[in-house]
Amino acid sequence: MTSRLQIQPQPPACHADALADLREILRVTRPDADVERIQRAYDVAASWHQGQTRRSGDPYITHPLAVVTILAETGADDEMLCAALLHDTIEDTPYTLAALSGEFGAGVAALVTGTAALDQIKGRGRRTVSQAAVKRADTRVLAIKLADRLHNMRTVQFIPQVKQLCKARESLDIFVRVAAQLGMDTIEVELEALAYATMKRNRHARSASGRLLLTVAALLPAAIRIRWCEEWLAELHTLPARRDRVRFAIHTASGIPQLAFTVRMPAWGHRRSG
Amino acid sequence: MKYAIKMTGPVQQVLRAMLEDAAVPRYGLEISKQAGLETGTLYPVMARLERVGWVKSSWEDPDLSIRDGRPRRRYYQLTKDGAEQARLALAEISFRREKRRSSLTSTRPGPMGASL
Repeated sequence: MTSRLQIQPQPPACHADALADLREILRVTRPDADVERIQRAYDVAASWHQGQTRRSGDPYITHPLAVVTILAETGADDEMLCAALLHDTIEDTPYTLAALSGEFGAGVAALVTGTAALDQIKGRGRRTVSQAAVKRADTRVLAIKLADRLHNMRTVQFIPQVKQLCKARESLDIFVRVAAQLGMDTIEVELEALAYATMKRNRHARSASGRLLLTVAALLPAAIRIRWCEEWLAELHTLPARRDRVRFAIHTASGIPQLAFTVRMPAWGHRRSG
Repeated sequence: MKYAIKMTGPVQQVLRAMLEDAAVPRYGLEISKQAGLETGTLYPVMARLERVGWVKSSWEDPDLSIRDGRPRRRYYQLTKDGAEQARLALAEISFRREKRRSSLTSTRPGPMGASL
């Protein structure tokens, strides 16, 4: 934590602690791990990402390092660990797939390309993950992507607020389910908590109106709560006057019990009075 | 005629507002203004309409909201079937209302008037 507060760019040596932690974790979860090969993947990734930074200002390599640590905790195999370290090199640096494949093997290369293939590039370079791509993907690729998303959500406060909400939503819609499917319970729980916390950090969520809505929304079933909250927070955003926002919040909140009743009731049958 | 949803007053108000231009997707606040309903009444109605398939809702393209720097909105639109059912239901209701009015002026008891 303290390294983040220092203004001077850190030499690669500052990651020695993180690397030592990784070794320590591997000793427990993967005593048979090929530590040399993993160290080599780290060296290659660190040299290619040299000079790149995260939005937080941290050197870029802190990200693959965090991802590999998350995976090491789950006992992931050597290929996955190498791929985790190298997962952004092909897209974001001049390092080539052929070189990666030659140095670390076709298995690692396939995991790296598989992870990148999950992203769909939309307008303005925005990356999204589609449900269909997730369905097709290999479980090892999904595990890497999941660890990648978990670290991105841990550091989500450094990206613009609107994007934060998109990432939070995508995490809840897709990745929390993926984690559940893969049986990665700790990741599932943390990711869900991070996504909810992100929603709540939203500017409007923190206002009195937003807090009222979020509090009363607790009456709604959890599965649909976030959808309504996001919708209402967006509506709050369209109202420039504080008075209107308060009015909106009070009226909407007063309808939440009815809404909760509506969504919990079985579909209204062909009933007719009279 | 039987409908998938109970045609309460607010439901009718929402459907009338949305039928004015059935093809246009609108967000909740817009519909509440057009229908003259408070949002506390509107959202439960929207949830019911969506559940019976008369209305579908979707998030706007995040690229738009990112460009404008605001959270993405949820938009509602009548489905093709929903618009058709809604038109029929509203027409039937006004027809019945007309009939009742004329039966009240005449001495013959109308179907609703019989029990009163």
